[in-house]
Amino acid sequence: MTRPTRLLAAVLAVTLLASACGRDDDGGGAAEEGAQLDQGKASGEITVWAMGTEGEKLSVLAEDFMKENPDARVTVTPVPWDGAHNKISTAIAGQETPDVSMLGTTWIGEFANTGALDVVPSDLVSEQDFFPGAWETGVVDGTSYSVPWYVETRLLFVNRAAAEKAGITEAPATWEDLHAAVTALRTKGGAKWGIYLQPGQTGAWQTVMPFVWQNGGDIHDGTRFVLDAAPNVEALAYYESFYADGLSTRDRLREGEPEPKLLSGEIASFVSGPWHIGLLNELGGEGKFELWPMPAGPGEYTSFIGGSNLSVFKEADNRDGAWKFVSYLMRPDVQVRWYQTVSDLPAVQAAWDDPVLADDPLLATFGDQLDTAKAPPPIPTWEQIAAGVDTELEKIAKGATSPEAAATAMQEQASAIGTGN
Amino acid sequence: MTGERGTRRKDRVARLGLHLVLAAGLVVMVGPFVWMVLSSFKTESEIRQVPMTWLPDEVTFANYGDLFARLDFPTYFTNSVVVTVFTTLTNLLFCSAAGYALAKLPFGGRRLLFAVVLGTIMVPNIVTIVPLFVLSSNLGLVNTLAGLILPFAAQAFGVFLMRQFILSIPDDLLEAARIDGATEFRIFRRIVLPLCRPALATLGILTFLSSWNNFLWPLVSATTEDTYTLPVALALYAIGQNRTDYDLLLAGSVVVVVPVLVVFVLLQRHFVRGIATTGLK
Amino acid sequence: MRRTRNSRTSPAAGSALYRALTGWTFALPFTVLFLLFTAGPVAVSLVMSVTDIRSADLLDPLGVEVVGFDNYVRLFTDPKFVRACVNTAVFVGVGVPLTMALALAFALGLNSGLVRFRTAFRVGYYLPVVTSIVAISVVWRFLLQPESGLVNELLSAVGIQGPNWLNDEAFALPTLIVMAAWRNLGFAMVIFLAGLQAIPRELYEAATIDGARRWAQLRHLTVPMLAPTMLFVAVITTIAYVQYFEEPFVMTQGGPLDSTLSMAHHTYNQFGFGNYGYASAMGYVLFVVVVGLSIAWFRLLRNNVDR
Repeated sequence: MTRPTRLLAAVLAVTLLASACGRDDDGGGAAEEGAQLDQGKASGEITVWAMGTEGEKLSVLAEDFMKENPDARVTVTPVPWDGAHNKISTAIAGQETPDVSMLGTTWIGEFANTGALDVVPSDLVSEQDFFPGAWETGVVDGTSYSVPWYVETRLLFVNRAAAEKAGITEAPATWEDLHAAVTALRTKGGAKWGIYLQPGQTGAWQTVMPFVWQNGGDIHDGTRFVLDAAPNVEALAYYESFYADGLSTRDRLREGEPEPKLLSGEIASFVSGPWHIGLLNELGGEGKFELWPMPAGPGEYTSFIGGSNLSVFKEADNRDGAWKFVSYLMRPDVQVRWYQTVSDLPAVQAAWDDPVLADDPLLATFGDQLDTAKAPPPIPTWEQIAAGVDTELEKIAKGATSPEAAATAMQEQASAIGTGN
Repeated sequence: MTGERGTRRKDRVARLGLHLVLAAGLVVMVGPFVWMVLSSFKTESEIRQVPMTWLPDEVTFANYGDLFARLDFPTYFTNSVVVTVFTTLTNLLFCSAAGYALAKLPFGGRRLLFAVVLGTIMVPNIVTIVPLFVLSSNLGLVNTLAGLILPFAAQAFGVFLMRQFILSIPDDLLEAARIDGATEFRIFRRIVLPLCRPALATLGILTFLSSWNNFLWPLVSATTEDTYTLPVALALYAIGQNRTDYDLLLAGSVVVVVPVLVVFVLLQRHFVRGIATTGLK
Repeated sequence: MRRTRNSRTSPAAGSALYRALTGWTFALPFTVLFLLFTAGPVAVSLVMSVTDIRSADLLDPLGVEVVGFDNYVRLFTDPKFVRACVNTAVFVGVGVPLTMALALAFALGLNSGLVRFRTAFRVGYYLPVVTSIVAISVVWRFLLQPESGLVNELLSAVGIQGPNWLNDEAFALPTLIVMAAWRNLGFAMVIFLAGLQAIPRELYEAATIDGARRWAQLRHLTVPMLAPTMLFVAVITTIAYVQYFEEPFVMTQGGPLDSTLSMAHHTYNQFGFGNYGYASAMGYVLFVVVVGLSIAWFRLLRNNVDR
């Protein structure tokens, strides 16, 4: 009997110790500017984490960088995407972070909030050089914590034969045009489904938020969430119409399923990003599909922008070297070389003038749309709010709720979660 | 003696029926494994083909070539082997000793220890990962192989398993040895461990498997590539942000599974041989 | 070990001190490592569950507020969590008995002495445990295709229109239960096989002389003698199923409409969102559930061997 009591006492003691400390309210401070860097070449050891293919191939650029900066040594550790977020969280907790890390665009708010990220030095890069939607992903409460490295945006991949059969000669420009085109792809183009829109579940918001933005809606207006505003409800109703009219399947397609179905014409179109060019070409799809930009509406933006950013940790042993390496990666010529190495689309606009990118018609569609592509607000709780949105989207797709009720639910959940600041 | 002949015929029918049932079950059980092995010799586009195929159209070894060319295979393999072998051995040793104590040696605090051991198995791993990493960082274990071994060197699961097995060893047997003047250490080595061979084999198989396939902790704990284990490396190269390279992943899965199967085949023999209870009484 | 050997000569060998010392000597190496690396982090996570710690506090973990049982109270107003509880209860309630019954049946079959090629069968039945989850998901999905899948083709041969297994709210969870049983029975079977070896053969010989039939032998000899092993398998399988995660993660992502969302999956998601306090509280609700079920198993399967 005494031992469990003692154990309980020990737990209580720790608890009380924790309560004695308490949360100090520093609140959201004013916008900060990062300290300037020293002049001259980079030197010393620079440790870098990067995920997936980027991590595997980044050493190519690191070699070039070390040729220009002979005193610097860049060590790249590739990190699997699977679990990368957890790895970075725990590394912050254990103060075992590298100097530089690649971060997903939707993670910046959360990690900046821990206080682990260094503020971007004021003299490092110029905001105007980047796609505006991409730059915004690194700015939290007016302070810049990371620099966009590469970008991607979503548009429509369409089976060319089905489009020709349906007599569609140019990409639909408006919601009505798109709906009509998708209907034609089904009725005249011979497709079982005119389009595949992800019916809710993880990541569906990336397909649906473009509709919201096209319609002039938004997620957060700077002071409060606006997920239940009229433009949002209309966008959700538009999304719903594709299911209600039998144009898209209500069943989720798994990884690996959409590509063969698009090429066989079972599904005439889907919304996705630039990596699908490679995936379709590998299945012998070269020339069998075309790209349509997302339709436009009264809103300022048309699609979603994603990609990855680079941040330096406050704990970095080599802050100056780290930022110098980041700024090297943002040079237009290096961005082009990076595109040639791993097909990542440059975040720096000037890189798109290079013939390597400018002369590729498929890429041009992406390049044009990037000007009007937008990211979700960089709030720490976004992933959690997005999960709630995805759940409601699934209900809409399955006909289990109305757009109005879904919008209200999204708004309620998001407001309850808050922005985490 | 017609009754016995009847029984024998019934036996033969039972035996045939049993084989048929087990064989049907076997087909259901091995299907995905067979597909995994066959598909590791297919091209990426054939693996992705709908409807899926069983036999490769054209056999290619490129996936395996790719695997060994892109991954620093010797490093990851060595790391995995070192971590798994040490983890398995320490668990066999520590868990059988502690299991014996918990099952057969009444000592103060035994019930509490067992309760805590059982309790920790029931807490999902994910909630302890941050405290464990902070601890590991304070002990200087981050990015070391020791840091991959020590947190799993004495697992609650193993103690629970060994205790349950040792419980079924008759007390009379141990008492007899004690009266003969054997020390507890001698009893443990000469009586308990030999009787536990099936249990040790089971623990060996299960610990080897879980350590070999462990992903989250090696991922979190390793901060440079030279301490990566095979599953971490495989996830890195095969599972991208927006796509999975099935060719590499399946070839890798086949290579990863080989040591696990070897260990299983070697150890499962002890399920029949180990026990010699005939001399017990 | 010297202490043990010396005390052999003294009659104190039976004393409480001696027994305590020997007991702890055997348990010590395990206990030290266990307390440091397992129990320690578990205790910390328990404390985390009564605070509002989030990922934002990673650098200043002592700067959090103690919120008592707020996290726990909040859990039960979270509709997703409640749904996950129901799903998990069904998964465990059906899945554990199913898996154990299948595993025991196959173990008894393989152990009956009637079967040849035993090694091949053992390896074969163990294969799903070691097969990569990716390969498993591809093949299962193919078999479960609504129009062209093998399962529905077999059903239509006998005149039944099979459902869209993984996309139907009513069928997704049962499908995953069957899949989990398929995947885990090899694991339980291996432990049963080892446990069956521990039953002295002469007990069977005696039973046969007494004329006991197979069924009677199974009921009155095998099952009671196997009780400690069954207890272990029951508890471990229950733990694994209360924390089931991988199958829905690769097959359904918790859908359709959260019909396969598990408590562990929800916990994992909350951890990913950085809500560490809340996620820990969820983890401890899982813990309480498993403890309750384990006590039930201990009660049910306790025999004279297990005090």
